[in-house]
Amino acid sequence: MLFGVSLITFYLSRGIPSAFNPCAPYINPKMTPTVIHNTCASHGFYQPLYLQYFYWIHDVFTGNWGNAGNWANGQPVYHVFASSFPFTVELALAAVVISVVVGLPLGILSAVHNNKPIDHASRIVALTGISTPVYWFGFVLQLVFFYYFLQWGLPSLPSQGAVSIGAPTIQTYTGIPIIDGLLNGNLAYAWDAFLHVVLPSITLAFASLGALTRLVRASMLEVLRQDYITLARSKGLSERVVIFRHALRNALIPALTVAGLLFAGLLGGAVITETVFNWPGVGRLSVLAVLQGDSNFVMLYTLVTALIVVVANLIVDVLYAVVDPRIRY
Amino acid sequence: MSDKNSESKEPPKRSGQRAAYVDELKYSLNLLTKNKLVLTGIVMSVFFILVAILSTVIVNPASAYKFDFPHAYCWNGNLFSWGTQSNICPASLNFPLGSDGYGRNLLSMIILAIPLDLSIALEIVASALAIGIILGAVAAYAGGWVDEAILRVTDIFFAFPFLILALVFAAVLGRTIPNLELAILLVWWPVYVRLIRGQMLSEKTKAYVEALKALGVSRWRTLFFHLIPNSIYPLLVQATLDIGGVILTFSALVFLGFSPSAALPELGNLTADGIGQIFTAPWLLLFPGLVILLISLGFNLVGDGLRDVLDPRLRR
Repeated sequence: MLFGVSLITFYLSRGIPSAFNPCAPYINPKMTPTVIHNTCASHGFYQPLYLQYFYWIHDVFTGNWGNAGNWANGQPVYHVFASSFPFTVELALAAVVISVVVGLPLGILSAVHNNKPIDHASRIVALTGISTPVYWFGFVLQLVFFYYFLQWGLPSLPSQGAVSIGAPTIQTYTGIPIIDGLLNGNLAYAWDAFLHVVLPSITLAFASLGALTRLVRASMLEVLRQDYITLARSKGLSERVVIFRHALRNALIPALTVAGLLFAGLLGGAVITETVFNWPGVGRLSVLAVLQGDSNFVMLYTLVTALIVVVANLIVDVLYAVVDPRIRY
Repeated sequence: MSDKNSESKEPPKRSGQRAAYVDELKYSLNLLTKNKLVLTGIVMSVFFILVAILSTVIVNPASAYKFDFPHAYCWNGNLFSWGTQSNICPASLNFPLGSDGYGRNLLSMIILAIPLDLSIALEIVASALAIGIILGAVAAYAGGWVDEAILRVTDIFFAFPFLILALVFAAVLGRTIPNLELAILLVWWPVYVRLIRGQMLSEKTKAYVEALKALGVSRWRTLFFHLIPNSIYPLLVQATLDIGGVILTFSALVFLGFSPSAALPELGNLTADGIGQIFTAPWLLLFPGLVILLISLGFNLVGDGLRDVLDPRLRR
């Protein structure tokens, strides 16, 4: 599967040099056309695509992912990716926490009070989340909580980046600003990083919240119709015990899958949110790379994201068996 | 499953299959409109479709490319830059939602944009549906290596970061509306393949398929006249839900830098235009985005209601 992903991306991003010029990192405006031609030829960019692909695979297995274009000062793409990935992890984690903390109770309430006002309210919230243009919502949040709050003299939230521009440089352990701040014992830094993650993570969570809520509701409704729930109720157990002890555990299994895949998706898919909030993660960089026609970064990015999705599927399958003793492989 | 034709659960009150079908349809419609939220969704969707059909009657399409700066000048009386003269006007009698950076009436531009966005969404969803039905049905019906091959290809597409894949396609193809549509279509079809394949696999094992075989009905006839019509309902639900999703994705591509042309009245483009003036003229961002939200919400409400109605376990 990873092979397929890499093949498609490679052919797309190398096959049409007008959109993605793989030679671009190696040339500069001072070169004459002949020199440019020779430089590109020496890197093998005029050879057949399948040969180029084999060279690329060979390079990748020897740990060479190539260099990024001028947009990242021509650094090796691997370094560019590795230094920005922790920011994406921070954002994705925060968003998943928010979606689960809000989406789960909303879904449960919705199922327990099926077709009551609270169910309708939760349906509206969930569907609005799904229907909202992510970038629009991000800018609206910026407008209100950054700009208007500043105008009104309220404590406003930062709208750009992962830490303040004037923030001191600190020893990095994980690359995730909040955790690094705490590890350094620098509470002010961690708090600053926390404030920065609030708006982007809400933006990101609002979009993914809907799917989770609807799913928890559906699986909870399904479980509540089962015979053993009727039995539990007829035993005279309180509604609370029935829902939390008997129904919830079974209803959570599909929700777990979605939360897992959601996290995997967010690790690679926070493209729009990162762009809106100028978040220094891999999503924003990948858009830059596409716009700049940098095939090396796009290759690395798609492969890592595909790998994350594959691994997440595997982990979710394993967790399934842990949570549900009936499932045995 | 959600099959109305051949296995209605209650015996029909009137004689004849057609009457039973009509009864069933009436009952479905009744269920659908009983829920106020779904009804709201239907009203919203119908409203936007009507606006789309009538848009060229309401607004002169040529006004999208008439950048009438001198006439549009107005005293910009908004909160933050009181009294500066500008061609971006806040809401007034002449400009109900204000005017945009080209001195055009924002409301007119939104009305002109709605048919474009809806037709883009319909074209993409219909094409994805067609591809999905054909490939998915073939995969499920043929089985064996054909099934395996089609599934592996959809697997690859599912593992992709789908927005980036669309971006790469768009970058390779070039920035025109048909190319952007193609880019979205290329990442959108696998969902439908999976859906109809799953449906068909369960449908294939049912007794009536065996009966058709015994009657000597050809494989293709069974596939296209019996199996596909009987497994299509979940797809229609998904398609309704996806209309909103496609509009969102299209506008996201435009926002991320693939605008076909700067002055194009398209909702995503109008929203993206407003980002530069977000703190001085917030209406430029707010209203087009809000319209995207409402269109998408309308179709999502309908799709969500359809799903409930067509799910036989929730019916009675």
